[in-house]
Amino acid sequence: MSSILSLNNISKTYGRIRALREVSFEVPSGSVFGILGPNGSGKTTLLSIVTDVLAPNQGNFTWFGNAPSGKQRRNVGTLLETPNFYHYLSGRHNLEIAAAIKQKPVGDIERVLKLVRLYERRDSKFQSYSLGMKQRLAIASCLLGDPPVLVFDEPTNGLDPSGIAEIRQLIIELSREGKTIILASHLLAEVEKVCTHVAILQQGILIKSGDVTTALNQEEWLEASSADPDKLRKVLEQLPGLKNILVSGNLFQVYFNTPLPDPAWLNRHCFEQGIVLSLLQTGRKSLELAFIELTNHVSN
Amino acid sequence: MIMREYLNTLGIEWLKLKYYRTFWILLGVVAVCIPAFNYVIYDITDNSFPKINGQSLLGNPFSFPNVWSTVPYNAGILVFIPAILIITLFTNEYTFRTHRQNVIDGWSRSRFIHVKLTEVFILSLFLTGIVILTCLYFGFITRKPMQPKAGWEQLRFILFYFIEMLDYSLIAVILSLLIRRAGLTMGIFFLYMIIEQFVVALGRNKYKVTWVDYLPEEVSDRLIPQPFAKRILTPGNNELWEKHVPLYLSISVLYILLFIFFVSWRFRKADL
Repeated sequence: MSSILSLNNISKTYGRIRALREVSFEVPSGSVFGILGPNGSGKTTLLSIVTDVLAPNQGNFTWFGNAPSGKQRRNVGTLLETPNFYHYLSGRHNLEIAAAIKQKPVGDIERVLKLVRLYERRDSKFQSYSLGMKQRLAIASCLLGDPPVLVFDEPTNGLDPSGIAEIRQLIIELSREGKTIILASHLLAEVEKVCTHVAILQQGILIKSGDVTTALNQEEWLEASSADPDKLRKVLEQLPGLKNILVSGNLFQVYFNTPLPDPAWLNRHCFEQGIVLSLLQTGRKSLELAFIELTNHVSN
Repeated sequence: MIMREYLNTLGIEWLKLKYYRTFWILLGVVAVCIPAFNYVIYDITDNSFPKINGQSLLGNPFSFPNVWSTVPYNAGILVFIPAILIITLFTNEYTFRTHRQNVIDGWSRSRFIHVKLTEVFILSLFLTGIVILTCLYFGFITRKPMQPKAGWEQLRFILFYFIEMLDYSLIAVILSLLIRRAGLTMGIFFLYMIIEQFVVALGRNKYKVTWVDYLPEEVSDRLIPQPFAKRILTPGNNELWEKHVPLYLSISVLYILLFIFFVSWRFRKADL
């Protein structure tokens, strides 16, 4: 998988504050790449650098394997922090300016406005839009010309629950189309639902990066319960590759050093041992929990 | 190819202005103020001073060829109005953060700032055009023997007005770039105008120093000396002024080049 964006030792300081410290990672083509971190961790600073809004004090980066330039940025739809438009112009006129700068056809404006459900309000001035509408117009602007890469910094800011769900669905659909999406967010549940890769920042330091499961060590587990918990426990303790068992009443949460056993096999195995399972399910440590464990570990 | 791209960029700038009502109102105010203010001065010189042999005590400042320096001089007094327009256009980009978005969307920083500077250049040219039309209007209505044909002696004042406009406009651009907020920038711009005049008056009259004549605004003001009753009010000054014109012109142009360099450098290097 080739790299769309490659960062090499990026550092940025604001006076005495070190916003980013030697950050390096690669964004693979076709991935939904989440940049995670609490507020103030350097996510927006990082995205500002790769969009030429800020200059790094150290390090460099490439887009599509080339040195950054306006030509490359025209193929990246970017929403950075807030929607930035001319308040006195209508949504349509604002998109005409964006399309002209990006050198994309004006004819595409109608499509993107319909996609974000702003077509009916296309001739209203930007200043009359609600926060959610402004955010949707910014997303429409990103989609102009159908760019292969999208950069979204907190894309669901200001959106209501249905708006959040719509954007999430849009990101999933765009990803299915093969687009690379770079998504900065502090909303872990939001990221968990869409991201294939992550980079985790804390106080400007890159803690981890890579594919979601590996980078976050999101351990998988298996849960089981039965009317005869003692007998079930004995069977579970005999399973190969067992790491540990957490007990909560009649419920056993089982962790393994090896990949999880096939649930169908386990069900049959328990039945052969005379145990009827009343519950059998697999799961994964939540992103939130994994993130907290990881950031706490680094802080300590 | 480069020319076509540059024209496209200007076209995008036009999209920003085309539906911006404040821009058109301010431009209209500037365009109307230049002839209107000159008319007020014309009316005063024509009717409020005693006439000797049918001629005003202040001479014939609105007749050819004097009108070529009188109108630019009066228009120079109003130079703060286009400065307000320029400050509005520049600080809007910061207020709406569209300067960032234009770069994010694919403009280079150089392209953004150069097109803005071109806008200032075009605005200065437009106002110089208004000044020329105003000169022609007053030259013709004063019913003096017609001499609309002017040589370098007269037309140079049109060039000097253009340079004065650019000089003041670029000071407005620098302040907009550094301060970023419209109200504060306008306040500082006016404050700077007052402070510079104060320093010039103090330096020239109290401390008898000449370097104050070469401060950014003063030196371009000096390109167009006051045109009224020169023989009575400033006798002998004309020869001295003629001697200094090349220096005033060179320093004014140098300031313009320095300001353009600073603005370009600052926008290319600063965090947006």
